[in-house]
Amino acid sequence: MYGMAVTVGSDGRVIRPAILIRIARGPAFWWLVVPAVVFFIIFFLVPTASLFALAFNKPATGVIDLSAALSIDNFIRIFTRSIYYEAIFRSIGIASLVCIVGLLLGYPLAYVIAKTSNPGRNALLMVLVLSSMQLDMVIRLYGLMVLLGDNGLINSTLLDLGLIKAPLPLMYNIFGVVVGLVQITLPFMILSLIGSITSIHPSLEEAARSLGASRARAFFSVVFPMSMPGILAGTLIVFSLAMSSYVVPALMGGWKVLVMPIHIYQQVAETGRWQFGAAIAVVLFVSGLLAITLYHLAAMRAAGGRS
Amino acid sequence: MTETIKTTRRQLLKMGAGAAVLPLFNINHTFADEVIYDGGAFDAGGAVLRMGEWGGAWGELVRKFLLDDFEKKYNCRIEYDSTWPWFPKYIAGGVKNPPLDIGNWNMPEMFKTAAVGDFFLGIDEIVPNVPNAKNLWPFATANGVGITWAFNQYGYAYRSDLVDTPPVAFIDAWKAAFAGKRGTYVTPSTLQMVFFLVACRVFGKDQYDLEAGYKAMKEFMPAKISDFTGNMKTLLDRGEVILGVLEDAEPLQARDAGAPFGFAYWQELQPILTQTYTVSRYSEPMQKKLAFALLNETLEPEFMKNMGSVFYLRPCVSNAILPDNLVKAGIENGADTMSKFWIPDWKAYLEQEADIVETVNTIFAG
Amino acid sequence: MRGESAIPFAFRVISWLTLAILLIPVVIVILAGLNSGDYLTFPPQGLSLRWVVAFLTSETFLPAFGTSLLIALITTLISTIIGTMAALVLSRARGRIVNALRVLFILPIVLPGIVVGLALYVFYISTDVGLARTMAGLIIGHVIVTCPFVIATVTAVLVGFDRSLEEAARSLGASPFTAFRLVTLKVISSSISAGAIFAFIISFGQFEVTLFLSGPNLQTLPITMYTALRYSFEPTAAAAGIFAIFLVVAATVTTSRITDLKRIFGR
Repeated sequence: MYGMAVTVGSDGRVIRPAILIRIARGPAFWWLVVPAVVFFIIFFLVPTASLFALAFNKPATGVIDLSAALSIDNFIRIFTRSIYYEAIFRSIGIASLVCIVGLLLGYPLAYVIAKTSNPGRNALLMVLVLSSMQLDMVIRLYGLMVLLGDNGLINSTLLDLGLIKAPLPLMYNIFGVVVGLVQITLPFMILSLIGSITSIHPSLEEAARSLGASRARAFFSVVFPMSMPGILAGTLIVFSLAMSSYVVPALMGGWKVLVMPIHIYQQVAETGRWQFGAAIAVVLFVSGLLAITLYHLAAMRAAGGRS
Repeated sequence: MTETIKTTRRQLLKMGAGAAVLPLFNINHTFADEVIYDGGAFDAGGAVLRMGEWGGAWGELVRKFLLDDFEKKYNCRIEYDSTWPWFPKYIAGGVKNPPLDIGNWNMPEMFKTAAVGDFFLGIDEIVPNVPNAKNLWPFATANGVGITWAFNQYGYAYRSDLVDTPPVAFIDAWKAAFAGKRGTYVTPSTLQMVFFLVACRVFGKDQYDLEAGYKAMKEFMPAKISDFTGNMKTLLDRGEVILGVLEDAEPLQARDAGAPFGFAYWQELQPILTQTYTVSRYSEPMQKKLAFALLNETLEPEFMKNMGSVFYLRPCVSNAILPDNLVKAGIENGADTMSKFWIPDWKAYLEQEADIVETVNTIFAG
Repeated sequence: MRGESAIPFAFRVISWLTLAILLIPVVIVILAGLNSGDYLTFPPQGLSLRWVVAFLTSETFLPAFGTSLLIALITTLISTIIGTMAALVLSRARGRIVNALRVLFILPIVLPGIVVGLALYVFYISTDVGLARTMAGLIIGHVIVTCPFVIATVTAVLVGFDRSLEEAARSLGASPFTAFRLVTLKVISSSISAGAIFAFIISFGQFEVTLFLSGPNLQTLPITMYTALRYSFEPTAAAAGIFAIFLVVAATVTTSRITDLKRIFGR
């Protein structure tokens, strides 16, 4: 799925490096994937699949064993009650929005870092990006509350200046959730992009300029398409993180923006109705995968080739 | 039928993992032995007692006030486990493989666990083995599952600098002045459960009048929601909330430290947030005996006083002497006070929990 | 390389905005952690190191910091090794199985961590393998959720492999294996470092997967924060954040002295 198994050439054509194909065809290399596959099957697929099987049992508080009485009651409940099925679309919508905002905000900074040749400045920028990732999530969200709350720095400043009469709703709603998720996922986006942008040879952009392309045109016809692998990897990571996050929607949305992980958390960790929690997890899982697959196909088509 | 599937699934899982990792141990329980404890010190021979308790500063001070000495006195080691939630861990392990020997609970989770299986000793099996239990107030053993050793009372915490007319009654939080600036908790939180049940009772016929509760929750909106008291305290500190559902400990503590906090007990009903210890039925005999001894030491007035002075925790034993900070707050430790407390019908609530969670979630999400 | 003047003006403006979004919450937390008052307040009532000292002398926070560090280091090592190996195959082989594997390796990060953690916990208990609430069991959970990031990072760079390098290797008459060893591994080494940094940071800050897998003698920093913050929001938690940031700054500066950081995320 990360499978940006394409390199887009300067002319937009897909280039497949011959050496990779040759190595891949060498019989000696396939075993490299075995440890990860075995590990994921034993410690991820088997446990998750057996938990998911519970989704097909009627909910019973505190019961973990699978019963032979299969039922799709849980799924019927999810798809007939708006509190659940709306959460599916809300989760996907928020995650998509976070991807777009993250890309718009992250790309320029990634570009600046990639083009900064002064080692000191470069290290400084990297330290700034990395250190923002190092704070405990709950604590970091406290910082955002101080900024965005009804009594936060932004609202109190605007109130003091007389620009607004009542505090702006900057958190405890979808806006706050998106800001929180963008803040937390931005470093992942930026770090995924830097690699791709750095790898674009500056001479390509220069060549485009020397052929009379405007700076913007050179960027959009050369740099941007060539950084596609990084964009795909970054948006994929950010989408997944945003879609599965519990803490951010909970604290920034004040438990009012009901996304799928909040329902799952409540059913699994708090009320102990694991069958229902498992069913919501199955739905989240399937819808997340579906969204990613569609995105991947669309990106492939946009890139003009298939892997 | 369920049994067969269960075995097959477990066997399948075992084959899957067993291929890679050999089973490291199989515990043989000798739980059938009767355990008796009469109050004296004994040598536990270095046994490990697994104890479930709250973390953070609470944990550090329970260790300082009680556990360090206890380990020396009984020659044992206490494995202090603050990795809440415990309910799923009990369920996953099964009745005969408890993750803890002694656990501290708030009521709903404890009842929920007890309803699933025979995890805990009954109150009649614990009390005779805990000599200090003779000093307990009657409500402390009324739950039938564990011994309630300490508690705090519910009410409203408010910002004395931001609230014009301090609340005095439960219904005061619905005043227009608090709209958008009042706070309660997520639906599966014990504090919200109590808040909801009191609303059912105060606004409706009785605590089973869920419709009245739902209507009250609707009218309580707009409000802010927290997950636990820590988050509510932060919202109050920041002035995001100026009146919130809370137990008395934190606000009284903050007020004594000079912060602009006030606390109002509800006139209509006096529910309490309890700390209750359970002893696991299928723990080893030595661990059970240590659990009884630990419970006994917990009920000592000295420990109660220490916890009261730091955490504003109130004792459940009649012979406890309240520390100055609690006395100053007007708190009493007498039969009269204790008889006024209201304990909801948790079993009835838990039977309806799924529907209540769903409905109230919808209301809160607005 | 050309001068930095080549960076468009709009990009500079947005970069400042992005840095502000990233760093303002961090600055607020640092100031709150340096508060001299009794409570977590902002703006702070005065600056002091009392909460940093409280963190450094705490019987719960500091050991938890050590536990998190140890777990993150081991997790990073395992994830980086098996993730890189897998990425090498995934980025070059093709076919239905490979596509299925690509899906398999992203599944763990689509699911909320709480589901992964609970599934593993139930699995450990019901198979009786002795991994429940042990460090090995917890590390397994962390590897599951960090490995996808290593695979994503390394794969992304492998597919953007520079043709000129391949030509160089060929012109030198290298066999595929030698070409791999001398060229590919060298080229992707910086993306491996990037994947490792992701793995470390995600493992170190991991709360949701850890919730069910941690145990009494296995309390990581996020879990300790969670259990402490549930009941009261002390500045100690913010001070722990300062300490964590200080560590990452020190580590980054040290690393940048040894290697050019851009090489890690660039190549």
